[in-house]
Amino acid sequence: MQEFEPKIVAFVCNWCTYAGADLTGTSRIKYSANVKIIRFPCTGRIDFMILMKAFENGADGIIVSGCHPNDCHYSTGNFHARRRWIVFRNLLNFSGIDTERIQFSWVSAAEGFKWADVVNNTVKKIREIGPYENYNKIAVSTLFKEEGATNE
Amino acid sequence: MSRIGVFVCHCGENISATVNCEKVAKITGELKGVEFSTDYKYMCSYPGQTLIKEAIKEHKLDGVVVAACSPRMHEPTFRKACAEAGLNPFLCEMSNIREHCSWVHPKDDLTTEKAQDLVRVMVEKVKKNKALNSIKVPVTKTALVIGGGIAGIQAALDIANCGHKVIMVERQPSIGGHMSQLSETFPTLDCSQCILTPRMVEVAQHPNITLHTYSEVESVDGFIGNFKVKIRKRSKSIDEHLCTGCGLCTTKCPQKKIPNEFERGLGFRPAIYVPFPQAVPNKPVIDREHCTYYIKGKCKICEIVCPTKAIRFDQEDEVIDVAVGAIVMATGFDVLKTDYFPEYGYGKYADVIDGLAFERLASASGPTQGEIRRPSDGKIPKKIVFVACAGSRDPAKGIEYCSKICCMYTAKHAMLYKHKVHDGIPYVFYMDIRAGGKNYEEFVRRTIVEDETQYIRGRVSTIYEKNGKLIVKGADTLMGAQPVEIEADMVVLATAGVANHGAEELAQTVHISYDPYKFFAEAHPKLKPVETNTAGIFLAGACQAPKDIPESVAAASGAAVKVAALFSNDELTRDPLVAVVNRSAPPVYSQCVGCFLCQSVCPYQAIEREEIKNRNGEVIKTLARVNEGLCQGCGTCVALCRTKAIDIHGYSNQQVYTEIMALLND
Amino acid sequence: MSDLIKKVTALLNDKTINAFIGYEKGSADRIRATFIRNEDQAQKLILNASCTQNLAGYLLKHEVKKLGKLGILANVAALRSIMQLASEFQIKDGEVYVLFANADGSLTEFTDFKSIEAFLETTDTGIKSEEQEMIAKLEAMTVNERWLFWNKEFEKCIKCYACRAACPMCYCHRCTTDVNQPQWIPVASHELGNLDYHLMRAMHLAGRCVNCGECATACPMDIPLNLLTYQLISPIKATFGATAGMKADAVYALSTYKPDDKENFII
Repeated sequence: MQEFEPKIVAFVCNWCTYAGADLTGTSRIKYSANVKIIRFPCTGRIDFMILMKAFENGADGIIVSGCHPNDCHYSTGNFHARRRWIVFRNLLNFSGIDTERIQFSWVSAAEGFKWADVVNNTVKKIREIGPYENYNKIAVSTLFKEEGATNE
Repeated sequence: MSRIGVFVCHCGENISATVNCEKVAKITGELKGVEFSTDYKYMCSYPGQTLIKEAIKEHKLDGVVVAACSPRMHEPTFRKACAEAGLNPFLCEMSNIREHCSWVHPKDDLTTEKAQDLVRVMVEKVKKNKALNSIKVPVTKTALVIGGGIAGIQAALDIANCGHKVIMVERQPSIGGHMSQLSETFPTLDCSQCILTPRMVEVAQHPNITLHTYSEVESVDGFIGNFKVKIRKRSKSIDEHLCTGCGLCTTKCPQKKIPNEFERGLGFRPAIYVPFPQAVPNKPVIDREHCTYYIKGKCKICEIVCPTKAIRFDQEDEVIDVAVGAIVMATGFDVLKTDYFPEYGYGKYADVIDGLAFERLASASGPTQGEIRRPSDGKIPKKIVFVACAGSRDPAKGIEYCSKICCMYTAKHAMLYKHKVHDGIPYVFYMDIRAGGKNYEEFVRRTIVEDETQYIRGRVSTIYEKNGKLIVKGADTLMGAQPVEIEADMVVLATAGVANHGAEELAQTVHISYDPYKFFAEAHPKLKPVETNTAGIFLAGACQAPKDIPESVAAASGAAVKVAALFSNDELTRDPLVAVVNRSAPPVYSQCVGCFLCQSVCPYQAIEREEIKNRNGEVIKTLARVNEGLCQGCGTCVALCRTKAIDIHGYSNQQVYTEIMALLND
Repeated sequence: MSDLIKKVTALLNDKTINAFIGYEKGSADRIRATFIRNEDQAQKLILNASCTQNLAGYLLKHEVKKLGKLGILANVAALRSIMQLASEFQIKDGEVYVLFANADGSLTEFTDFKSIEAFLETTDTGIKSEEQEMIAKLEAMTVNERWLFWNKEFEKCIKCYACRAACPMCYCHRCTTDVNQPQWIPVASHELGNLDYHLMRAMHLAGRCVNCGECATACPMDIPLNLLTYQLISPIKATFGATAGMKADAVYALSTYKPDDKENFII
């Protein structure tokens, strides 16, 4: 049987983690190809609904990453993001959504190694947990019902 | 229907070694809306860019996706190329298939598939991109310099000499700052006053500089190129136009025993005073806290003796509004307060003084006319112990950093002492001697070798008085931590340089960030050392971190160049990647409901209130509006807005939503 | 004639207010909201133990707002709604005349925010013990059990939006649900559309919910919606020290921060 290849989306800020992931590349550190990055100006820009959209479109895991506290390019965006994630994680957990599938991290522009670790560990973890069947079930079933209508 | 061009770069072999670039171009070329796709060895090269430009024209492309390296590397390059071909630069996006793909994954199908996914995401995003125009902001070509020490003076003169107007605000009655208190300067032993005072005079006489002393900045609004500043001119209780600075009032004032701040309390001044003889402006102020008239309601001797009738007891503070385009922070530093050193008896023993007080003792214009006499009895001290790192590099005192200037001025103090008191013995307790700087190490060497200063490596643990002597106890760590005890006549503490009092409040007033020690924070520690995170506000001198004179001057000139560069254009051009609050037809006007919860998340105070009025001038709705001159495009407000009334160009809701859809649904 | 009717009549007659939001007898044994504009209508006003609805939700409704200066019969939840709406710049100090119904049926007048704040400080504003128990029961479940629980609940949702209409904090002209560029929330009332809608709504109420419970009361399908937002109240208070609807100038927990906010999940 083929090994489960999780789909993982990473939402990262432009100034720290995106640049950190660039450094991972420049340093030729290898990581799993399962993870694809979407760039945001700041973690503060990352709407909680973006995470919900990722799950319902088939993501098995999510990485959200930005600048370390006090390092935000916009000085406070990551502080606001942190509060948002504290509350949202609580809500997801209470609603029965598996927060283990969301990895939040601070990865600076200098932490190329850390980015590779975050990615590899997340891929490993999601591979162990398996596909997000609960969400897939409702996502797939509803998409079927709607015949692709969710995609605008 | 879109007409998008996809350009896949091999980057030599950097990408093509692991990604099948031809395949990526071919597969993504079949995506809906893609009109043209190709791959090329070096897309960023001249022929590569030409290829893009020609394709834009030939295929009438309305969107471009370049799949190559990180956009942090070449996004400006390709956007510029698009613009040259007549395509709005913001209709060009990059897929990062090098740093985020070819370099981090092995050569296999998965890597190529990932590259295709990344290109598809950007193709879909570009479909939602909008043509954007750079934002033009007018520039008020006047600079505000806060602080009139050497850094502020240098910055003001440099900017003024570029032909721009400068407004200088100084909290004290005179400009000059700490440098005016110094005796001689290391490593050349130039007389501080001699090199500084001509600059002070130049500031006062410069046609482009307006000086406000005894004044403070009360509020700063606006943004780069367009700041609105309120300056509180504290009442000096004199009419500056009438006063000739004759000084008669200062000699007749009955209050004569007020500790003189300029002399670090080693001398006295009257209630109506000029801080020091070379002060600029050389006109007195009345210190209302100590003036007999303000305390008891009668006296007015100064008013009686004033030959020009310039005294104004009823004068009030004046708040003036100025418009400036740039601000230079040059508010300097302070030295650690006395209560930090109970173990050294600072404040308890008159002969334990700090470095600034020693400067005054050594100064020809100081309270002892330059003779080194101890404060308690005026005797000439035969043994002085200098304690370096008094507070600095001491986590227990809460100051982990090196104050940088103390090693040098302590060496200078020892040298000056020896020059003035030939039979005196200077001792220096130090942790390390940090003498990095032009001719600095040689200077310290001279102090040690030629001026026979006893350098002892170790900390002083305690100082106490015994039979008129100060007993200094410490350890010599180079002698196996052997205890050392010196019977000194005087002790000079090289107290740590700390952020100036009020620095935190001022930073909040002007909206710039500061570090945990309350020093103002630079935008980048290496590449933007004189910029702050707030556009249009720059740093000069020791308000940023302890700095010596040449460093302060260099930073000030650096900040001045930044200001001059800003003022070299009538308009500022800014990236249009900013947030906007939507607008719609009446009676809705906007989806914004005016809850203003977004207002406090904005790090730049860019969210303003806009009142929608009817024809009678009545407010019918209050909405948020983003000031695009202030917005830096972080998008934190966008994520917070419940009605989705705020969106941000470049990372709009449509764009990010489309990206996720495209990424996960192939 | 009750004190309430007398008071409201006087307020209307001396033009202190133009309309008063109170309760009247509805069909069958039900109580419903009423909007009193004159002395005659005032006779309909009732006040008894069944009058529990949070009427503050009506304050921002377009149809009610245009009646002019409003008075309202408030319970604790309504007072808190007014405070929260004030902090969101929806109600100005002195704009609404508030009559608070005490447990003994007597009335307390509030004409400014300060007095409401002072009153709330000494009032029990917590959630009911049975709700607390239900939350505890859910929290004791596994994540999967909770998923199944909510899946079953949300399955019932018919997207009538009664919860949104009843909520005093859902005053947006355009809810995220109504946005179709992009279509954040699927329109249909299927499992996904319902989950998205309710999570979005709960998140938008986090730090703003004043636990009046109107959403759950209004729900025709008996979904315990209030638990979603109630559950967030204590962690928000514990982590950020913020409680909604207690002060007119309060700062929303999610639009501020402390550099040392604590979390244990960011690596």
